[in-house]
Amino acid sequence: MFHWLEKNPFFFAVAVFVTIAFAGLVEILPSFAQASSPTVGTKPYSTLELTGRHVYIKNSCNACHSQLVRPFKSETDRYGNYSLSGEYAYDRPFLWGSKRTGPDLHRVGNYRTTDWHENHMWNPSAVVPGSIMPAYRWMFVNEADVETAYAEQITIKNVFNVPYNKPIPMKDGSTATVTLEDSLEDAHAAALAEAKTIAADMKNQDVKDAIAAGKIPEIVALIAYMNRLK
Amino acid sequence: MNKLVLWGILITAAMLVFTYMAVGGSKGGLNGDIINILAITGAVVIVLISVFVVVKYVRQMQTDTATGELADENWDGIGEYKNELPMGWAVLFLILNIWAIWYMLMGYPVNAYSQIGEYNEDTKAHNAKFEAKYASITGDDLVDMGESVFLAECKVCHGLTADGIDGKAANLNQRLEAKSVKHVVENGSNFLGYPAPMPDRNGLFNMNTGALITDAEIASVATYVANGMKGDGADIFSGTCAACHGADGKGMEMVAPNIATFDIATVKTILDHGKKGAIGVMPAFERLNEKQKEAVGAYISSISK
Amino acid sequence: MENRPLEYDYTVAKLFMFTTIVLGIVGMLVGVILAFQLAFPEVNLLLGEGLAEYTNFSRLRPLHTDAVIFGFTVSGIFATWYYIGQRVLKVSMAESPLLIALGKLQFWLYILTVAAVVVSLLAGVTTSKEYAEFEWPIDIAIVVIWVLWGINIFGLIGIRREKSLYISVWYYIATFLGVAMLYVFNNMSVPTYFASGGIGDWYHSVSMYAGTNDALVQWWYGHNAVAFGFTVPIVAMIYYFLPKESGQAVYSYKLSLLSFWGLMFVYLWAGGHHLLFSTVPDWMQTMGSVFSVVLILPSWGSAINMLLTMKGEWQQVASSPLIKFMILASTFYMFSTLEGPIQAIKSVNAIAHFTDWIVGHVHDGVLGWVVFMIMASLFHMAPRVFKREIYSKSMMNTQFWLQTLGVILYFTSMWIAGITQGMMWRAHDEFGNLAYSFIDTVTVLHPYYTIRAVGGLLYLIGFLMFAYNIYKTMTVGRRVEENELQTASPMAA
Ligand code: HEC
Ligand code: HEC
Ligand code: HEC
Ligand code: HEM
Ligand code: HEM
Ligand SMILES: [Ca+2]
Ligand SMILES: [Ca+2]
Ligand SMILES: [Cu+2]
Repeated sequence: MFHWLEKNPFFFAVAVFVTIAFAGLVEILPSFAQASSPTVGTKPYSTLELTGRHVYIKNSCNACHSQLVRPFKSETDRYGNYSLSGEYAYDRPFLWGSKRTGPDLHRVGNYRTTDWHENHMWNPSAVVPGSIMPAYRWMFVNEADVETAYAEQITIKNVFNVPYNKPIPMKDGSTATVTLEDSLEDAHAAALAEAKTIAADMKNQDVKDAIAAGKIPEIVALIAYMNRLK
Repeated sequence: MNKLVLWGILITAAMLVFTYMAVGGSKGGLNGDIINILAITGAVVIVLISVFVVVKYVRQMQTDTATGELADENWDGIGEYKNELPMGWAVLFLILNIWAIWYMLMGYPVNAYSQIGEYNEDTKAHNAKFEAKYASITGDDLVDMGESVFLAECKVCHGLTADGIDGKAANLNQRLEAKSVKHVVENGSNFLGYPAPMPDRNGLFNMNTGALITDAEIASVATYVANGMKGDGADIFSGTCAACHGADGKGMEMVAPNIATFDIATVKTILDHGKKGAIGVMPAFERLNEKQKEAVGAYISSISK
Repeated sequence: MENRPLEYDYTVAKLFMFTTIVLGIVGMLVGVILAFQLAFPEVNLLLGEGLAEYTNFSRLRPLHTDAVIFGFTVSGIFATWYYIGQRVLKVSMAESPLLIALGKLQFWLYILTVAAVVVSLLAGVTTSKEYAEFEWPIDIAIVVIWVLWGINIFGLIGIRREKSLYISVWYYIATFLGVAMLYVFNNMSVPTYFASGGIGDWYHSVSMYAGTNDALVQWWYGHNAVAFGFTVPIVAMIYYFLPKESGQAVYSYKLSLLSFWGLMFVYLWAGGHHLLFSTVPDWMQTMGSVFSVVLILPSWGSAINMLLTMKGEWQQVASSPLIKFMILASTFYMFSTLEGPIQAIKSVNAIAHFTDWIVGHVHDGVLGWVVFMIMASLFHMAPRVFKREIYSKSMMNTQFWLQTLGVILYFTSMWIAGITQGMMWRAHDEFGNLAYSFIDTVTVLHPYYTIRAVGGLLYLIGFLMFAYNIYKTMTVGRRVEENELQTASPMAA
């Protein structure tokens, strides 16, 4: 049979394709059905948080940082509860990473703060002697791209039914709603309002000036994102 | 004995010694942790099998000759022998395939392994082991334990020597800086979670004067507190603050924290609720257990003046 | 025509040989820079504070992986296909001007795409999915390039004279199909500009899959991208170049057959080993582990077949640096396909995952196997393509030892670094607290990062010697006749 295949390239190719495609179906289909429902308390990202997530991706923080706490005592001691599938329901793309040159960040919002991030991103080794993380000073200057984040929010609401403007159950039994603004101007205004509360805890003068002028530096969006990782 | 085999043994031995030294000398160490032991075993197995299999084939290159019946076809001058499968390979392949099918269909379902189940067991064992130990950890041991928590959890913000890294976080060698005291008096609560939060300056009366506290008085009482309740400002303190913080500034349970010195209760409160003060935000630490909080409290009390 | 040997047309092969070498240099240079950045973070500022946005580790890392995979390796695959394909199918591309034209089109589109990739990665345009970082416009270009290649493969097969397909061709066909399927599914995404009615960046898109599902698709892709990028096509190369260069017949057809179909079948089931202890279901993780272990055998099958092809031919191994490269490549192939399965065992992965041990595994595979094999292929092709003798054999020998030392320094240092760090992360002290803060587990790696950087530098120097040797062969090597090119490549001392 094989010799015959070797003389008939078309069927050879079909045979190869069937062999390799089969496993994919077995692996991917069954868990697709169950993995996507959010855990209680998991909200879609606000415009500013999503903007910050894009900053995170743009700078490939995932090259050094995981966002997946494995179920080991040593990891839950270091980072907090092990990660649950439903916590990632709104993560497109997922950001688990595959290398921990730096620590896991899935729950970093629980134990690091705005001002710490500000100091750390400006000069990591001044806060953590021996750190090999690069400094990210341009983020204090570059303006964040709120527009693209807003476009993504519209997209995921329309295409994937991400529950913006809908009540979402919280752990304490209450509900919360993440709004998707009606226009880009409103989205920008809402993001700026959120940015102001973060910038209030920061000291960098350029950042404060930018916020006062209605602009959102990348670092503020990034911190909004990291504070939300809990 | 073949020279090659000798070389193989030599290389393997060298790698093993090297691994042993690297692991033994490394700070992680085997620690009797089964996972560590399996990982090292895995590494050793990789080296062992690789070296000996390569030696085997190199010997064949040195001593054997190519034989067998050639197939009719040839491609760009490349021929092909119709040799049988190497026995060892074929048998292993078969066995592994059978094993895999058995494992997926029988072994695994029957075993009913769950990684979360395993985690729960490990955690229970760990907690049981150390909770039994916790009762006996007191005094200097408690401070030692606290130092270990501090070095793992706190030094990224407070620095190795707890000096706060140039004002980036609180200096824990002293209870409070004047600027921190001033900040809370002017703005009120640091969000430590007391039932009635501290009022801001618009709610703080100096009983000596009967008026709201003034800028000059704030400055003076702040220096007084920061100096360890010494110097000028004692009268303002007793007139304004003592009602809640006590005459000696050592606080009252459920009313106001000890602001004269660090004690275990104060540190615990801060770890439970965090603190948002003049310097920045101190995060709450949910993932530490009560004993760890107590220990780090003891440590901070021991290093502070 | 009947009496003369075929005149093969190597136009397209030559073009891709060129990009193999240039992108190899770029990719590895960036790799060396990354290695130094981890050892000495000041190197993040290598072009000054102002350009740090573009020269820091996190911007450069995807550039490294994509340059070596989609640049160097894929070019090598194309170059060797356009060489081997004609020869084992007994048909010249010159017989079909259309195929030559399509091949050239494929090349120039490839060059444009490379330019777009470099610019966009430096600008931070990435989707963050490993080895699938590109945004949709580049994805489309890649699909077109791939389809052009497919047309060439099947076009050439369509006009072949040799009825039955040689082993290498099996592997090229599998490469084509495997990558096509994986790449398309993993990159499915919705462009936000169009879906939102014209807001934001036009090139931005959002993944079709979320969270755990996205991870599943990504590592189904990621694992098999390794399979169909770093394994299958490289096996295609060794099945041609080793027997050809040594003049030996392939040891066993049956072994070739079982290894091929075994590999096709088993590889796809093993992807779960990238998601151990994650939030994908337990059974799927277990399946990944189990099939990874099975995978040792079909992988080793090809390697054993090649080693046995050299049975009784030790004098060739000893005297020809070209054969040395290939023999060492197949041993490193065996090494990394034993290492991988062992790292795929759950309890070992608990230590290995997220650490440099994985990076060590990656590089004993790519440096010891992929790069060695591609360089050997180009060395063998050069005299035939340029009709000149290889410029310097002694330089090849020096290069061989330099690079071997480089790989050894690289993977041993990363083994130690990874295992040490993995153990430190797990360690509890006598009070039951974590024994180390994270930064303690970083600073301890400094010596190993330094050793790796030096190893990488040696390896890069070796690659530059390779590039120089090929350049000299092209320009000043002694001209050779067809009859000198039957088996062993002619090389000048
Ligand atoms: C070269 C690798 C590297 C890159 C790239 C990198 N980091 Fe880090 N990161 C580290 C290391 C190492 C540490 C631990 C030492 C320290 O705290 O600085 C760390 C620590 C951190 C921490 C502290 C977490 C904790 O629990 O202490 C945060 C937050 C962080 N990084 C965020 C980021 C962000 C955001 C980016 C991208 C913009 C980034 N990092 C890029 C290596 C890196
Ligand atoms: C009405 C009761 C009350 C009075 C009067 C009062 N405090 Fe407080 N104080 C509190 C409470 C309650 C807290 C804890 C508040 C919180 O959650 O941050 C506190 C916190 C503080 C802290 C911060 C401790 C820390 O670690 O963050 C300082 C410093 C302080 N008080 C100083 C003073 C001084 C100085 C005065 C007088 C000028 C004063 N307080 C008057 C109730 C009082
Ligand atoms: C993310 C940074 C961060 C970490 C981690 C951190 N701290 Fe803090 N801590 C701060 C900052 C900032 C302050 C100052 C708050 C203020 O007064 O403005 C502070 C204040 C404190 C204070 C109050 C000091 C005072 O005089 O009132 C105590 C006590 C303290 N930290 C203990 C700890 C302990 C114990 C740990 C570890 C278990 C820890 N901290 C970890 C940032 C941190
Ligand atoms: C039998 C064959 C192999 C198996 C079973 C295998 C298994 C593994 C495992 C378990 C990991 C680590 C996953 C993790 O914990 O993060 C891994 C990573 C990797 N392997 Fe292999 N491996 C094999 C062969 C190879 C070969 C031959 C190469 C390259 C030439 C290779 C390249 C890689 C790469 C690039 C990664 C890193 C993926 C990432 O970015 O995380 N592997 N492999
Ligand atoms: C001079 C030689 C090279 C050096 C010094 C080098 C260095 C590096 C470094 C420092 C990293 C980052 C590791 C980390 O994040 O901790 C890396 C990653 C990687 N390199 Fe290389 N590299 C070299 C050559 C290559 C080649 C030739 C290939 C492929 C053909 C390759 C493929 C990869 C891959 C796939 C990764 C990602 C690994 C992962 O995510 O696990 N490298 N390399
Ligand atoms: Ca990786
Ligand atoms: Ca893509
Ligand atoms: Cu894999």
